[in-house]
Amino acid sequence: MLTRLLVYLAYFLKTSARYQSTKHFFRRLLVIPQSQPKAYFDVFMLVMVIISVFLQIDKVSHQPPQWQLVFEDCIVALFIIEYLLRAWIHNDNHQIILDHYERSEYLSIPVKLHKVFKTIAAKKIEYALSPLALIDLLAILPSYRPLRFLRVFLIFRLFKLFRYINSIKLFTQILFNKRFELYTLGVFLGLLLFIGSIAIFLFENPDNGGDVHDLFDAFYLAVVTMSTVGYGDIAPQTAGGRLVVMGLIFTGLGVLSFFTSIIVSAFTDKVNDLKENRVYAELQRHEGIVIICGFGRVGMHVARQLADHQQPFVIIDKLERHIEDASRLGYLTIQGDASNNDVLSLAGINRNASAILCTTGDDVSNVYITLTSRQLNADIRIISRAYRHDNVRKLYQAGADNVIEPFEIAGMVAAEYVGQPVAFGAIAGIMHEEKEFVLDTVRAHPGSAIIGKKIAEIDFDHSKLMLIGVISTDPPHLKQNESYQMQDRHFYFNPKHAFEVQEGDLLVVMGKRIGIDYFRYQLEKSRFKIGKKR
Amino acid sequence: MKKIAVFGDPRMALEALSKFDKETCSMIYAAQNRHDAELIAERGFAAEAIDFRDDSALHALGIGVDVDYLFCFFVADSDNVFLTISARALDKSLNIIATVDDPDSSDKLLAAGANKIIDPYEISGRKTYEMLTKPEITHILDQSVHRRHALNIAEIEIPENSWLENCKTSTLRLNERHNLILLGVVDKEIGDQLHFAVGDKEHVLNAGDVLVVMGPAREIKAFKETLIGDDDV
Repeated sequence: MLTRLLVYLAYFLKTSARYQSTKHFFRRLLVIPQSQPKAYFDVFMLVMVIISVFLQIDKVSHQPPQWQLVFEDCIVALFIIEYLLRAWIHNDNHQIILDHYERSEYLSIPVKLHKVFKTIAAKKIEYALSPLALIDLLAILPSYRPLRFLRVFLIFRLFKLFRYINSIKLFTQILFNKRFELYTLGVFLGLLLFIGSIAIFLFENPDNGGDVHDLFDAFYLAVVTMSTVGYGDIAPQTAGGRLVVMGLIFTGLGVLSFFTSIIVSAFTDKVNDLKENRVYAELQRHEGIVIICGFGRVGMHVARQLADHQQPFVIIDKLERHIEDASRLGYLTIQGDASNNDVLSLAGINRNASAILCTTGDDVSNVYITLTSRQLNADIRIISRAYRHDNVRKLYQAGADNVIEPFEIAGMVAAEYVGQPVAFGAIAGIMHEEKEFVLDTVRAHPGSAIIGKKIAEIDFDHSKLMLIGVISTDPPHLKQNESYQMQDRHFYFNPKHAFEVQEGDLLVVMGKRIGIDYFRYQLEKSRFKIGKKR
Repeated sequence: MKKIAVFGDPRMALEALSKFDKETCSMIYAAQNRHDAELIAERGFAAEAIDFRDDSALHALGIGVDVDYLFCFFVADSDNVFLTISARALDKSLNIIATVDDPDSSDKLLAAGANKIIDPYEISGRKTYEMLTKPEITHILDQSVHRRHALNIAEIEIPENSWLENCKTSTLRLNERHNLILLGVVDKEIGDQLHFAVGDKEHVLNAGDVLVVMGPAREIKAFKETLIGDDDV
């Protein structure tokens, strides 16, 4: 009966969208690196920890007012809630139950509940014994009155900072990664201190005319000497003692150098991680990121255009020199293979990226990146570069929305200088926004005053605009007007006076930027007024 | 009839050759080797293999004689510079358009005598950015400027004794009468700059002025014919 109830509850939790989304929210808040809520939560907790520590310091010398005690209790309550939430999201208990149940069903053996509970308990103990969870617990315990004697552990609140500051986390990770070297060094150091302390005590004990009264003093002198600090409160008096101390100074210097080199080399190894962490944090802050895969000549020019127009982008490239070039220009970079799912995911392909540009000089790479990107995100815009014309079709097959061929484009552009240089120069100027006039689209949003209006009734002159045409998906237009196919839409050039604007239509207009903005403002104003009337 | 000589990369050359108006231009592709010459000839363009380092071969091709435009599409900047210097020495008034691989070579090509430098990578970068930010506009302009579909952008020079002479731009109403949109005018009285036909600024048209219009190819052709003929609209 209990088993059936547990299995029912486990299935219920597994299929409950609310439960899953709640748990996912807390995972994003507390655990998932680079998530936006976690970034805010970390800063909030950082402030709470620092305030709580200052309150504790204040308590040492003053009797705290009532509000301070209440505030302190609130902070502790927050720490307890955080601790329990972390324990909850550490693992999925319902999944453990279901795994046991399904295994038993498959093997036709009864579910052993004690094993289920044991596994669940083991998982929770695993969490409770993790270093950061222990720090959390020790930061909470002293606030419990019967455990006031543990006040010294309030210092663990400061250790809680490890959770919220990425740099500290990285430092501990470095120490952890170099544990073998540090362990070897520690053993060597311990042995030296042991030998040194014994030798100092033998030479420097008061019977031999020295100042070292016991083994602790000898150990203290050995440590102070090895670290090259040398306070001078205890100094060797005998020739034998001085020889030992000299030996300790030289070995101390060696040990310190060795320790420094371990840490420096570990930091050098991790420097890319540090940079990438900064890049990922920066990428989180923007919407509509453009991912440029390949910082060659084309990628460089696109990046320049995006930077000039202050649009967020990130560059992914395998080559170190390309990454260095891009970093020197102040661009966000990730050194890695853009065809790797993880790299694209970290760059935000499924989060806040709006487009992928495959601009490597190699068609094979571009096809592969295009395919990977399309598999990861079916809706993202992909523009790819083709070196050979034969590969254009392959890029479209792989999922590219547009393909650029540098040499073909250059050939076409060159030809325009013979045929119609004025027209081409003017259009290029408009497109590059180098001219005073620009060509842009204005969308007929739902609720806008122009919807249902005939072209003749729309006042373009007031904004000093010229209507070039309308892009629409509306089928009725097709029957009445001549159009030009544009993938899934139609372009109606120079629409007749009777052409009726429909919801979602794009008006292609030419004019000064200020005129286009004013026209858009008028449309937005009309939407607001119509909305209010309703 | 303009005479055009194209040297260098066959892909770029083919794209340019296919864009030239066969009725007003005579073109020749000067290949570096027989294979490239055959490749271009197969597509229906005149081609021959010549050594661009040989001035007499360039002269025989028509440079310094009757070639108006020279396109240098070599992959190596040094080849483009050499051809530009050679051609400029043969013809001071030749229009030389060259591509560049390394942006630093632009100045060298200009110093060698090129009139226009084209950086394929820069153009591609710009094009990618335009596709990204204004996909619809880029599509329309791409199709019309490069005459990929029936909608075209064209320059029309006003001939002598045309009915357009002394007309004001505001009275033309090409959109209503000819299904064309007047994008701008090059008013020769003011200079060679294009003045966009948006806003209040008025231009009185004269022979030699250039209209930049957008519209269906057949309408542009019909409009051009009205300018040559005597019929008013």
